[in-house]
Amino acid sequence: MSIATTLVKSTPIFGKMFAVDKSTGLEEINAWPALMIMSSFVWLVVAGLLGLVMPATQIFDLSSDHFYTTLTLHGAALTFPFSFQLMMGVGLHRSGGCVGKAITGWLPALAWLSMNLGGAILTVAVLMGLKVSVVVMFPLPLVGAQMGVWSMESVIVGFTGIYLVLSCMILWYPLLVLKMMFFGKKRPELVLSERSLNEPGMLGMLLAAATLLLTGLPLVVVGTTLLLALYKILPMSLAAWAADPVVFQYTFYLFAHNLMEAMALMVASAMYATLPLYLADGSRKLYSEKLANLALWILLVTSVTSGLHHFITFYPNQPAALSYWGNIMSWGTGMGAAISVFTVLATIWQHGLKPEPGIIAVLVGWALYILDGASAIVTSNIAWTYQLHGTMWQSGHFMTVILAMSMMWMGVLYHHYPVLTGRRLDPALGNRYVRMMTVGSFGAAITMLAGGAAGMPRRFADWHPEGWMLYGNLILFFGLILGASFAVYFYNLMKSREISSPMGELATA
Amino acid sequence: MLDYVYTGWGAFWVTMFMFVPFALMAYWVIRRKSLVDTGPTQLQPGEFAPIEGVWLTFAFIFFVVANLASLKFIPWAAASGATDGEAEVQVDFTAKSWSYDISNRQIEAGKPVRFSGRASDTQHGFAVYHPDGRVLFTMLMMPGTAKPTSVVYTFKDPGKYAVRCLEYCGVAHHRMQDELTVVKAN
Ligand code: HEM
Repeated sequence: MSIATTLVKSTPIFGKMFAVDKSTGLEEINAWPALMIMSSFVWLVVAGLLGLVMPATQIFDLSSDHFYTTLTLHGAALTFPFSFQLMMGVGLHRSGGCVGKAITGWLPALAWLSMNLGGAILTVAVLMGLKVSVVVMFPLPLVGAQMGVWSMESVIVGFTGIYLVLSCMILWYPLLVLKMMFFGKKRPELVLSERSLNEPGMLGMLLAAATLLLTGLPLVVVGTTLLLALYKILPMSLAAWAADPVVFQYTFYLFAHNLMEAMALMVASAMYATLPLYLADGSRKLYSEKLANLALWILLVTSVTSGLHHFITFYPNQPAALSYWGNIMSWGTGMGAAISVFTVLATIWQHGLKPEPGIIAVLVGWALYILDGASAIVTSNIAWTYQLHGTMWQSGHFMTVILAMSMMWMGVLYHHYPVLTGRRLDPALGNRYVRMMTVGSFGAAITMLAGGAAGMPRRFADWHPEGWMLYGNLILFFGLILGASFAVYFYNLMKSREISSPMGELATA
Repeated sequence: MLDYVYTGWGAFWVTMFMFVPFALMAYWVIRRKSLVDTGPTQLQPGEFAPIEGVWLTFAFIFFVVANLASLKFIPWAAASGATDGEAEVQVDFTAKSWSYDISNRQIEAGKPVRFSGRASDTQHGFAVYHPDGRVLFTMLMMPGTAKPTSVVYTFKDPGKYAVRCLEYCGVAHHRMQDELTVVKAN
């Protein structure tokens, strides 16, 4: 039995949801993805609750320290060990079944370990006092230690955690995908639904892995240098270049921005692969594969440099020409989205749709992603960014993109779940989850955008001035609905039944 | 009209302009083709092409127009038109955790003001809020840059303008605030 299977089996509550099916001989494809998906949901429960704590600290006038601790943990845990890990688990399961290769050996183990150990170490650092938000805001960690706000030990622990998480996203996961695509022998017994690299479903996976690897390498170099200096292995004088705020920020955002785009590429490809399976006429064809691939390429090419929009308000330190470029490229990604809108709707119009909860969750998540995309290109426009940068608009955009992708992966998981576990989910509960998550996520997203338009600052432990508490209360309201939708999703996983047993009683539960 | 689109709530409504028609269309297509008429459509693939062309052309034109029309509202581009021979008033400031050192907090309405700022310890922001609560502009400063971050802005209305840091800078970030007073021109 694989270590991953054992770990899943020995985890209380969540282990029951993801107990790996060994009867089909697919354990080599199932085990590590099941462990990754299960672990991601553990993070979701903890960090999702922390999301509710943020508005609560404002309503009950609790210490601002609690707000910033929660903010850092909420953002970091939901972006990396939840969302990225969920994507990694479902994505690997999909590619394993498409190329007929086992997901075994040291690479998946390293990817899982570095993500979860890194996340846990980072959590310890935040609890030690390091409150730097998910984006680190370098040189804030060092300045905070110099000012005595938190200890240097917490900075070292925090950087170690972040470094491990980054190693998973930049090295282990992309290398694993590339290894599966180009090396090793295909095993016919592991092929579930064969696909070639020309198909949008596989192309997106590959482009995403390459993007993570290439845009992340500079950050690995900067991060390694800083970490060696923090551990006093390298003299600070040799690491000074990496500690320059401008160098660090540009390297960080080159990766962080493309991480979001890579995750978008992955999820778009997962949708292009899943949608055809739910077409009413059984044709299993997209409206146009060429158009779908074109959208992925446009997204890739435009997104690499569009991250310059993060520094528009840094003018003239970021020259105007680079800001215009970032502005134009960001709106270029909108053309990719416009193409994907057409491809998806034309496909459904052409062939009809079987409205199962999984594919509806994918489509609702995709609609949320389009809302997010619209808000993103607006805030990438130079004139608008001067008014929106640093407001709740951007937290709304960030949270929505992560939420949209997570919702899509949670939908795709409906499709993979029977293969992973040998059990099936109740469609009635599935539909309830989709309805609740739709209300919660669109409500929270639109509220946060509205808060930003009204000038409400992001990462700001005082929502009382200028009437911002209205938005705070609405965030809590929609957050509660969102939390309840996750509870329904988990209940469905808990109550899943062997594929052979009847679902009747569950359908009426 | 353009003033409304490119300031205050304009960004929100433009986002909704892009999203709401899409959402209604998507809802209608998905509902119809999964519940009402699930069969394959009679349209041949070739017949989709004109719709595809119109949709993508519309998106492209909208994207280009929305960006071109915004040029006049960029603080540094606006500066070149606004200053038109008129001397700029210089306001220098330094941001450090968690306060500002501002060279001049009283400003005359109608005169272009060049704000130039630096951060002395970590990243900070300098956002100026209109008395009605709108953000007029925000600036990002990082320590150690050769040049200060800079923006030119011409205030229209006299009143008290809050200044807030919008770049998270630590546990008292929300207390990093100041105020400018805009007075009527002499
Ligand atoms: C359970 C309900 C939730 C509530 C009430 C909630 C609330 C919030 C709030 C208030 C913020 C903004 C903090 C600020 O910038 O001042 C925020 C940020 C964020 N949220 Fe949530 N959230 C919830 C669920 C989620 C979920 C499920 C995800 C991911 C799938 C998520 C991901 C994020 C991210 C990535 C940020 C940005 C953090 C940052 O910019 O520092 N949230 N959330």
